[in-house]
Amino acid sequence: MAVNLLRRIGIFILTAFVASILVFLLLSVVPGDPARAQLGTDASQAEVDALQQRLGLNRPVPLRYLLWLGGLLHGDLGTSFVTRQSVTPEVMNALQVSLLLVVAGMLVAVIIAIPLGTMSAMRQGRADGVVLSALSQIGISIPNFLMALLLVVVLAVRWGVAPASGWVAPAISPGGFLAHLILPALALGIVRGAILSRYTRSAVLDIQRDDFMRTARAKGLTSGRALWRHGLRNALIPVVTVTGVEFSGLLVGAVVIETVFVIPGLGSLLLQSVANRDMAEVQAVVMVIVFMVLLINLLVDLAYTIIDPRLRSAR
Amino acid sequence: MQLTSRRHFLGLVGLGAAAVSLSACSAGAPTSNSSTSGSAGGSSTATLKVGFAAIPQSLDFTTTAGAAIIQALVGNVYEGLVQLADDGSIKPLLAKSWKISDDGLSYDFTLQEGVTFHNGTTFDAEVVKFSLERIPKWTANTPGNLAAIDHVDVVSASEAKVVLKQADFSALFWLAGPLGAMFDKGAISALSTKPVGTGPFTFGSYARNSKMILDRNDSYWGTKALVRTAEFDYFADATAAANALRSGGVDALYQAEALDQVASFQSDSRFEVTKGTTQGVVVMSMNTMKGLFSNPKLRQAVMYGVDRKAVLAAAASGYGTVLGGPAVPTDPYFVDYADKYPFDAAKAKQLVAESGVTDLNVNFTVPVRPYAQAVAQVAQQQLNAIGFTVKLVPQEFPAVWLDKTLTQHQFDLTVTNHVEPRSVTNYANPKYYWSYDNAAVQKLFADAAAAKDDAAFVDDTKKAVAQIVTDAPGNWLYNPPNIVITRKGVSGFSKNYMGVGINLAGVSAS
Repeated sequence: MAVNLLRRIGIFILTAFVASILVFLLLSVVPGDPARAQLGTDASQAEVDALQQRLGLNRPVPLRYLLWLGGLLHGDLGTSFVTRQSVTPEVMNALQVSLLLVVAGMLVAVIIAIPLGTMSAMRQGRADGVVLSALSQIGISIPNFLMALLLVVVLAVRWGVAPASGWVAPAISPGGFLAHLILPALALGIVRGAILSRYTRSAVLDIQRDDFMRTARAKGLTSGRALWRHGLRNALIPVVTVTGVEFSGLLVGAVVIETVFVIPGLGSLLLQSVANRDMAEVQAVVMVIVFMVLLINLLVDLAYTIIDPRLRSAR
Repeated sequence: MQLTSRRHFLGLVGLGAAAVSLSACSAGAPTSNSSTSGSAGGSSTATLKVGFAAIPQSLDFTTTAGAAIIQALVGNVYEGLVQLADDGSIKPLLAKSWKISDDGLSYDFTLQEGVTFHNGTTFDAEVVKFSLERIPKWTANTPGNLAAIDHVDVVSASEAKVVLKQADFSALFWLAGPLGAMFDKGAISALSTKPVGTGPFTFGSYARNSKMILDRNDSYWGTKALVRTAEFDYFADATAAANALRSGGVDALYQAEALDQVASFQSDSRFEVTKGTTQGVVVMSMNTMKGLFSNPKLRQAVMYGVDRKAVLAAAASGYGTVLGGPAVPTDPYFVDYADKYPFDAAKAKQLVAESGVTDLNVNFTVPVRPYAQAVAQVAQQQLNAIGFTVKLVPQEFPAVWLDKTLTQHQFDLTVTNHVEPRSVTNYANPKYYWSYDNAAVQKLFADAAAAKDDAAFVDDTKKAVAQIVTDAPGNWLYNPPNIVITRKGVSGFSKNYMGVGINLAGVSAS
C-alpha cells in the first residue's frame, strides 16, 4: 500500500516536471514578440529592445526556465510581462472561480445523470426508456458552447430568469453568486450529465444481472425496490470513479464556458494573456491547469486503490 | 464495499469543499454591485454599467499600449490642461486659459485653483512641470507626439509656461489626450494598480478582463458626475455583450461590435441607438518599398479594383463611412476622397496590364480579427478578378502581426484599423511599415507643425493628404462607426469617439 502510494506520487511529480519543461519550451517558440505586443504600433526598435532586456527575454532559454522553475517551487508563478506584478494572486483568484464553476457543473451533471441513467436502465426496451436514452445521446452530441448560447438566448434574453453573463463572488453576495452561476453550471453540467448517464445506465444494467439482485427480487421485492435498497449503491461505484475523471474534462470545458459567460476564471485569463503575449501569465495558467488535472487524477487513482482491494495488493 | 464507496464519495466531497473554501477566503476579487444596477431612479445614487469590447491590460497607459485603458481613465480619473470637444475643438479643463507666443514656442497656461488630486495633493504648476517633463519616460502611447516640449517653467503656483524646442501646432491637440494627463508625483509608483487623478471619478477597482469600477468624486472641483458609480464591463465576445444589454446586465454598449444586431436593437422600443464616427481608419496598406506594389500603376489598380462599399457592407454591416483618403470626418483637414478612385474593374485591369509586371502574386497578411478577415475575403475576390493572385496569410493580432508585418515588413498587402487619432502623420515617417517616402509630403507636414494658425495648419495638412491620396500607398477603406446602444433612460454619451477618454461624468441613468 505504502509502496504503491509512493509510486503514484513519484509518477505525479515526474509528470509535473516534464509538463513544466514542455509548457515552457512550447511557449518560448510561439511567434510574436511580447515586448512589441506591449508597446504597440508606434514604438521604436530601441524601445522594444530596452523592454526585452527589462523583461529578461534576452537571457538564454535554459536559464529562464530554471529561474521560473525555482519560483514555482516557492509558490511564485512569475511576474506578468504586462502589469509587472506577480501573477500569483490573479491566477489563484481565477483558479477559485474556475473550481467553483467546475464543482457546480459536476453537481448538475450528477443530479441529471443518476436519475436519468437509472430510469433508462429500468425502462430498457420500453418506449420511455428509448426516449430517455435518445435524450442522453442528444445531450452528448451538443457541444458545450452551443448549449451555453442556447441557454443564454432562451433563459436570459427571452425569459430573463437569470443574468446572461458576469460573475459575483460568493463572499460579496451569495444570492448574486448563485444567480450568476446557474446558466454556466447548467451549460457545463448538461453535456457531462448526458455522458455520465450512459455510464450509470450500463452500471445499473450490469448490476441487475448479479446474483444478489436476483436474490433480493426472489425475497419478494419489486425490481425498483431491489435496486433502491441493494443495487444502486453498488452500481454507483464505477460511476463515482468516472465522475472523478470527468473533473479534468470539466476544467478544460470551463475554459470555453467562461468566455461565453464572461466569467473571470482561468479560461478568460488564458485567452487574454495569449492575445497580449503575456507569456509569464500564459505559463502560469497552463501550469496551474496541468497541475490541477494531474492532482485530480492522482486523487482518483488513490481513491480507486482504496475502493478495490485487488488494486491494493497489487504492487 | 459500503465503507469504501463512502470513503470515495467523501474524497470527492472533500475536493469540492476545498474548492468552495478556497473561494471563501478569496482575496476579494472585485465583483459586480448588482443590487443597484440600472434600477435606481434617475437620482445621483444610480450605477451606470457600460459594456466595452476592448479590454485594458494594465492601468498604466504610460507603459502599456492600447486604447481601452485610455478610454476608461482619461477624462474620468485623469484630467489634462485642455480637453477635446465632440466637434474636435480644444476646450479649457485644468487650465482656465492659455496664450501662445507669436513664435509658437511658448504656451502660458493659467491654471484652475482649488483643484486637488483624489489623494489630497494640491494641483499646481509644479504638477504640470512634473507631468509634462516626464513624457519622454513613457514607453507607450506615442510620447513622440509631444517630443517638441523642451521644459516647463513654474511662473507661479497657478501659472505654468510650457516651452517648446520647435513650434508644433498640434501640441494642444496632444495635450488634450492621454499625454497631457496630470499625475501626482507621489502616486507614480503605483500607476499600474492605483490610478490617482483630479477627475470626476475616483478609481475603485479593476478585475482584469472583467470589470472596472469608478466612484463619483464628491469633492470634484467642477460639475460633479451624474451617477454615483460607473462600471466598465468588458466583453471579449460581441454577442455576449449584446445579450448582456438585452437581459439587463448592462445599461449601455459603447462602440458596440455586434453590428449584425444593431438593426434589431433599433426596432426594439426598449433601446436607443446612436451612430457616430471614430478616429479609426481601416486601411489596406501596400508595401511601397519592395515587391510588386513599389509599382504605382499596380497601387492604382488596387484603388480602382476594390469596391469600398462592398467592403463596408461585409466588414461592418454597412455602418460607418466609406473613405478614400487617410483622414476621418472629424479631422479639421478632412476632404471626402470617396470618389477619387471609383470602383472600376475594367480600368483596374487595364492598369495591371500597363504596369508590365507579370508576377502578380500578392502576399496579403491578415490580422485574425473579424473585420480584417471580412475585408480580406472581399478584396481577395475582387483583386483576383482584375488579374492578381492573392494569397491570404492569417496572422494573430496583435502579437504576430506586429512582429511580421509592422516590424519586419514581410508583406505586400495588409489590412488594419489605425485607431489612433491623426494617424495620417505616420505618412511622414518613411520607416513606418508601408515605407511611404515622399519628401514633399514630409515638408508639408513639417510646415503644418510650424503653422501659426488653424487655417495654415489645415491648409498644409490638406495638401499633404491630397498628395498621399495621389501616391496611394494604401487603400483607405472606411471609418468604423461609433455605435452606442443604450437602454431607455440612459443618456449623455458623446456621439463621436474622439480617440481619447470616454467621459461618463455627463451620462445619466434612470
